[in-house]
Amino acid sequence: MRNIVIRPRRHFRVPVEAERITPDLFAPLSIEEIRSLEVWEGNRRVALSELFDISGDEGPGRAEETQISLSGDFSRVKRVGEKMTCGRISVAGDVGMHAGNGMAAGEILVDGNAGDWLGREMRGGSIKVLGDAGDYVGAGYRGESCGMRGGEILIDGNAGDYLGEHLCGGAITVLGDVGDFPGIANRGGAIVIGGDAHLPGAEMASGTITVGGRARVLPSYQYVETVEIEGLRFKKFLGDLVEEGKGELYAASVEEGRG
Amino acid sequence: MIIEGGIVYDPINGVLGEEMDLSIEDGRVVEKAGGSEVIDARGMLVMPGGVDAHAHIAGGKVNTGRIMRPEDGRRGTEPRTKLLRPSTGYTVPNCYAIGYRYARLGYTTAFEAATPILEARHTHEELEEIPIIDKGALTLFGNNWEVLECVRDGDLGKLAAFVAWGLLASRGYGVKVVNPGGGEAWGFGGNVKGIDDPVPSFDVTPREIIRYLMRANEALRLPHSVHLHTNNLGKPGNYETTLETLRAVEDIAASRNRQVLHVTHMQFSAYGGTGWRDFESKAPEIAGYFNRHDQFTMDMGQLIFGSATTMTADAPLEYGNARLLKAKWSNHDIELEESSGVVPIVYGRKNPINAIQWAIGLELALLTEDSWQMIMTTDHPNGGPFVNYPEVVALLMSRRKREEELATLHDLASKRTSLPSIEREMDWNEVAIVTRAGPARILGLPEKGHLGVGADGDVSIYEINPEKVDPSRDHEVVKAALARAKYTIKAGEVVVRDGEVVAVPQGSTYWVDASVPEADAARVRADLVEKFAKYYSIQMSNYMVQDAYVTRPRVVRAGVI
Ligand SMILES: [Zn+2]
Repeated sequence: MRNIVIRPRRHFRVPVEAERITPDLFAPLSIEEIRSLEVWEGNRRVALSELFDISGDEGPGRAEETQISLSGDFSRVKRVGEKMTCGRISVAGDVGMHAGNGMAAGEILVDGNAGDWLGREMRGGSIKVLGDAGDYVGAGYRGESCGMRGGEILIDGNAGDYLGEHLCGGAITVLGDVGDFPGIANRGGAIVIGGDAHLPGAEMASGTITVGGRARVLPSYQYVETVEIEGLRFKKFLGDLVEEGKGELYAASVEEGRG
Repeated sequence: MIIEGGIVYDPINGVLGEEMDLSIEDGRVVEKAGGSEVIDARGMLVMPGGVDAHAHIAGGKVNTGRIMRPEDGRRGTEPRTKLLRPSTGYTVPNCYAIGYRYARLGYTTAFEAATPILEARHTHEELEEIPIIDKGALTLFGNNWEVLECVRDGDLGKLAAFVAWGLLASRGYGVKVVNPGGGEAWGFGGNVKGIDDPVPSFDVTPREIIRYLMRANEALRLPHSVHLHTNNLGKPGNYETTLETLRAVEDIAASRNRQVLHVTHMQFSAYGGTGWRDFESKAPEIAGYFNRHDQFTMDMGQLIFGSATTMTADAPLEYGNARLLKAKWSNHDIELEESSGVVPIVYGRKNPINAIQWAIGLELALLTEDSWQMIMTTDHPNGGPFVNYPEVVALLMSRRKREEELATLHDLASKRTSLPSIEREMDWNEVAIVTRAGPARILGLPEKGHLGVGADGDVSIYEINPEKVDPSRDHEVVKAALARAKYTIKAGEVVVRDGEVVAVPQGSTYWVDASVPEADAARVRADLVEKFAKYYSIQMSNYMVQDAYVTRPRVVRAGVI
């Protein structure tokens, strides 16, 4: 495997649009050519080498056998791994918004936290985050009718609001808690939440959401029965009835109260 | 400027593929120009600049489409350059992109197809921002309370005076009628089901509204005829309503040398069947009727597979679309004038309804024998975005292309339409008619759509040799050449070279100033004072489009005195 190491040369005060950091784009290039790739820092177009130290195995190589190792604070570096179709990106630290945007295959591993829009509209491949993730994990961008359609996202920590918004396929697993409206307007796919969730599955047409902790369930969900999944008892609901939805919602514990 | 040696198609002047030079001076075609600018067009196709007589390119509902569809804005983004402002969007492009993209296709004029008077300021604000092309806007009258009252009272004089006032108030060019009566009924959650179904509260029928507006239009001798979007548009079986409508106005005569009625995006009004299950084409019936009645014209409203945004003053239709598609829906009430709606849609090749619709548009264009009765449109962005015009032209010119496409569609496109049996392939002269000469004549623009002395110096030059390329076989070559004009010349200035925009002049905006007898105008003013006092949400003084909104007007005079 060809390994390419990227380290920030300084602290970024404005976001860097780094959609060019992908195995697909790097693979055919030498290290020197990678250094001269251009990205936007705010409204300035700059060479990658002006922002980052780039080292590692000399190319070219095959994209499938390309690993990009990001080391340091990438929390203001956006769109890492956008539309990647193979290879591997590992981040030792935090990664910024829109990581894995529209990726089709390959693998992204984040040691730290991920920003908003992680894996938005992804088609395939896998993303694993050891820390927390922001809002709109696996969602569709503004106006889209489909977010993530395939692949897998695993978050060991917590995730923010609107997890899996407009999910049309694939699987998202969060071991911790999530914020408001996970699985809003879903049309497929599977969401598993280890901790608590607030108002899951609003406007869901189809798909499944499983909440291992406590869930505040919308009044437009219909209770069906209590079922056992892998030795644990869940209350099963169908909804969202306001959308004549056929989504399935499983909650280990239901928070009482209105709305 | 001299354009040298091109192979010219100029149907209005009877020029059918002759190699000739053209001279342009001070923005107009002249006998012989001075100056040293020479464009070498040898071996290339030369036509008058394209004219789009029906597209939704400016105003409230277009902008609603943009607001509703940020995902569309992301498609088709092109960054700013030293010369150009940034472009966004595919079905609902921003204003700049509309101008640039028309120019790249060799189009130099485009008319916005539906503006309520109340929102005309917005329309003109956007038209002002569309670069390069000349523009105009048709004004909606078919559900306006003042119109309905004049029709109820049988007061043709007052109706004509109101139409003249409405064109002035909106700086509009012509009379657009959309689902007459239906938009008003929608205010109460209803619709009209046919041309004899009365409009709630007004005791008038669509038949009467259409007839009266056509008579007023002809009394005013407007350059364009009434421009009609039929009742029951988009519904299976609606071809009967369409034919009934046309038969209901056969006795009305045109006041000028043009059609007496233009029926727009006919594809959506040529449907058979009792529902979606037995949905089928009735294009042969419609085209057959047009072949026997040369006083009527139509445009295709061709469907393009992929993403589109439907937008129309036919609000009940959009409600139906939104329910059927479970799609985003915007619904809008335009006070005393209209209602409207916007719904995004994706047309699929394997969707039997969409596949049949696609075939119907082509059947209509190919079965209508006289090309002067037909305009090539996609009802942008209802049937699809206008950037697909080269695709439509290639389909009209090549039976082979049609067969290739049909093979990729749901098989009902072949079984429920007559398209597979149609052999006709348009030639370059017919293409020049349906994209330029025809729409200019139908709109009533004597200086557009041709290259005779005195015409506007709007010329498109394409890198394709009509004497060497066989469009039937090499339809890909045709499509590629038309998509990127070698040169587009607007008022004597090169605005596109090698498919790229190289200059961004500002075009002008047409509107019609029609005079009427003062007595009739005074009666209209009295009515309006009451309507604004009682019903409108704004004052009349804030309603009229002022001159400041139309900085480069091109005023066409009409009227009864
Ligand atoms: Zn239209």
